[in-house]
Amino acid sequence: MTAIRSGGLSLALALASTVAFADDTPAPRPITPIFQEEQAAESGVDTVYNGDWEFMVGGGVSTFDCDDDGFPDMLLPGGSGKSVFYHNESKKGGAIVFKAMTSGLEVDNLLGSYAIDIDGDGIKDIILLRLGENIVMRGKGKCQFERANETWNFDGGKAWSAAMAATWERGNTWPTIAIGNYIDPEADMEPWGSCTDNWLHKPEAATPQRKFANPLPLTPSYCALSMLFTDWNRSGTPSLRVSNDREYYKGGREQMWHVDPGKVPTLYSEEEGWKYLRIWGMGIASYDLDFDGYPEYFLTSMADNKLQTLVTLPKDGKGPASYKDIAFAKGVTAHRPYTGGDWHPSTAWHADFQDVNNDGLTDLFIAKGNVAEMPDFAKLDPNDLLVQNTKGNFIEMGLEAGIASMNVSRGAALVDFNLDGLVDLVVTNRWKPAQVWRNVTPDAGHFIEIGLKGDGGNRDGIGSWIEVKHDGHVLRREITIGGGHAGGSLGWHHFGVGKDTEVEFRVIWPNGATDEWQKVAADGFYWVSPKRAAVKWE
Amino acid sequence: MSVVIRRAVLGLVFACSCLLSLVAAAPTQAATPPQAVVTGWYKLILELVRHTSNYSPPVAARSFAYIGVTSYEAVASGSDNLQSLAGQLNRLKTLPSREKGAIYDDAVILNTVMEFAVTHFFDRTGPTGQHVMKKMAKRMDEEVTQGVAPDVVTRSRAYGQILSQAVFDWSQTDGGATVENMGFPLDYKVSDKPGHWVPTSLIRQQQAPLLPEWGKVLPLAMPAGSTCRLSEPPEYSEKPDSAFYKDADEVYAAVKGLTDEHRTIARFWSDDPMLSPTPPGHWINIALIVLDQQKADLPTTVDTLARLGVALSDAFIGCWDSKFEFDLIRPITYIKKNIDPNWDALLITPPFPEYPSGHSTQSGAAASAMTHIFGKALAFDDSTHEADGIKPRHFANFRAAAEEAAISRLYGGIHFRPAIERGLTQGECIANYVNALKTKK
Repeated sequence: MTAIRSGGLSLALALASTVAFADDTPAPRPITPIFQEEQAAESGVDTVYNGDWEFMVGGGVSTFDCDDDGFPDMLLPGGSGKSVFYHNESKKGGAIVFKAMTSGLEVDNLLGSYAIDIDGDGIKDIILLRLGENIVMRGKGKCQFERANETWNFDGGKAWSAAMAATWERGNTWPTIAIGNYIDPEADMEPWGSCTDNWLHKPEAATPQRKFANPLPLTPSYCALSMLFTDWNRSGTPSLRVSNDREYYKGGREQMWHVDPGKVPTLYSEEEGWKYLRIWGMGIASYDLDFDGYPEYFLTSMADNKLQTLVTLPKDGKGPASYKDIAFAKGVTAHRPYTGGDWHPSTAWHADFQDVNNDGLTDLFIAKGNVAEMPDFAKLDPNDLLVQNTKGNFIEMGLEAGIASMNVSRGAALVDFNLDGLVDLVVTNRWKPAQVWRNVTPDAGHFIEIGLKGDGGNRDGIGSWIEVKHDGHVLRREITIGGGHAGGSLGWHHFGVGKDTEVEFRVIWPNGATDEWQKVAADGFYWVSPKRAAVKWE
Repeated sequence: MSVVIRRAVLGLVFACSCLLSLVAAAPTQAATPPQAVVTGWYKLILELVRHTSNYSPPVAARSFAYIGVTSYEAVASGSDNLQSLAGQLNRLKTLPSREKGAIYDDAVILNTVMEFAVTHFFDRTGPTGQHVMKKMAKRMDEEVTQGVAPDVVTRSRAYGQILSQAVFDWSQTDGGATVENMGFPLDYKVSDKPGHWVPTSLIRQQQAPLLPEWGKVLPLAMPAGSTCRLSEPPEYSEKPDSAFYKDADEVYAAVKGLTDEHRTIARFWSDDPMLSPTPPGHWINIALIVLDQQKADLPTTVDTLARLGVALSDAFIGCWDSKFEFDLIRPITYIKKNIDPNWDALLITPPFPEYPSGHSTQSGAAASAMTHIFGKALAFDDSTHEADGIKPRHFANFRAAAEEAAISRLYGGIHFRPAIERGLTQGECIANYVNALKTKK
């Protein structure tokens, strides 16, 4: 089955869902997710994101399984202090337990990190985003890493980096990596307007590709704080979204780049529908919320956040790159604290769409926290958990869920740390230890978690789409590396499926090849490779 | 001056090279020229206006007024030719004077008052602004005290402190000192009557209008916010043959038929808060450009910045008094309802009532104040937005700039013509009170 036929199916389903949403009866209240905070003494996690002005951004978390035990491990940044690698020692369904372990990833001035298997050896590598030189760490197995900048010709530069995204361009066995840079760290007397160029690290031209070419500046750059390669129009070629902090650019805006194989990157223009939007862009989260086959994009900012949906659906991968903001209508502006008594506008950082109650509808988590001591923004700024109802609107449930931390949060990860089928949570905080919450929702639905094993260099199937049938819709997740705020997760891909005890799913791989639908039992973990039946992981 | 310090001073200078050129030209043993201290701090102030979240245009204008008065009085207090504004500006009875016969240094006093004013009026700016303010103060202090006798430095700093404290204390009595939630009230009942303002934005915070009480802030030169009130706008009507409909249709047609030049003009004067120095900051930058162009002396520099600051601040008070008296609907609301539901303005419609146009009122006032000082025939190139990639524009005089700023709001699709034309008139009325101030003895 081709992707185009899949799109046609999506349209039909979208129409069906639109009809359902037109009903005036109020949507039932979603299942209340319940999280239990694991204290540092038990969880073993106590890393503080420290530092002064230079660490007002960053604090990103990366999670990845580096010893093939199925449990996601974790790297937390220390800001001006050392970063800490945590090995996941949880038992399935038990308390979340980590143990700090020397891994080679312990560096200072770390703002964030992303896991990626660069050399296609099946072992996760890590990109460290720093104030100063960025470092690529090659995974050696058993959660040990070594510097590979020189081996792989990765120029780490000396900028202030907090954003990263990766893709495998069609035909390449080596990834293309975008690095987002912020203010010129040496321009501390004139920081405004000092945004340094983002870089695009493409593979070397020679084959077999075993290292990067020299980086290409993505000019103009406007102080990126989040980047995401995403196939927004389902053309088969991802574009690079860049969310920029308007506090520091001059003449800047939100950006999207054409990154086509063999071509110099070019910016989407107003003639192509890309609108003039200027926000304090800090994080990107994406998910196909309306089941139309195309992702919506949530952009974190200060005060109101944005939720963008396409104005016109593309045909055959072509159409205007025009988005409209539906945050107000969907209830996800998340513009001020919902509890704690502070009425000032919020400051939002990391965001992620995950289904936290396994009802088959993805929910939205947002990490919040004042930049430092900005009196016109909330000092008591609880993290949000916006739970989606059956009408596609979101209900704030952070307080009931138990995750309404008033710490000054930055990065986060929503990952099933104890492999019980429920998405857990870790959040980093400025000047205070990171917090870990275990999801113990009593009435949660069923789930499925899928791991991809792609062919060639792109071992984790980055750029794939996983589709899951549920409740008359197709749930879709684009598999990406990037987005969020300064960190992301690479591992199991989680879907809540409500009352379904069997799940029908398929994978559309980055090269466009589409697997047949296959049916598996819910509440399981499955490895999926192209053209092969899913293999249950125990 | 050491090489290290010279490099540091380079960092003080932002888009304009006013301070740079003056410092570089100074002999190594001499103090920094006092007017360079003023213009150097103003360059930072323009950045802080852009990057301080509660600095909407009325708030920015107010700070320009008090900072302008502070720097003016710092100089006037030691001048045989300048007259204090105490006793002329509303509620400002007296100000501390210098000790007779004692030696002071104007640059040290100015640096003290500017540091005080900036740190007090921008106390709510973010960590980056705070970081830069501290560095600026430290480095500028090193500059201005170089070669000055220690007792003169001490005396000058002490006077600067008590003078700026006195002006700041005076500023706290006008009703405009506290602005919360970026100026958007948490409780506000939007009128449901036809023709009245309704929110035009999907931003939650902007479901109430900006600073609905600002018209009650006490002005500095004109007697009250209501002194220059306007006649009523055209009677609201949705009939196609009505004057109101025709005004709306003019906006609709103007946006539909925009030329490249119209778009350029609209964007040149857009001056969006938090993305630019705001409309009053635009005019302050014009003043800095002209002062540099004219190689203005210290008295002219501080006189200009004080008069312009007061004119801008009073203009926003008068304009806001009228805006909330009439509470008029915006073009985008009217046109979508009555002419074309799919129409969109070129510019983002500001979140407050339409009549009169704020940019028109304040530009009318600013042009009048600047013309009072520099005359009707001074041409200049306005490069305010050059760092944002917008090319400079040439103006034959200040009035021409004000008229272009005013009509830009029609091209942008955010104002009807009466708000533009009467806004300019209102600005002139307000500026008359500023122009009546006596600064020369």
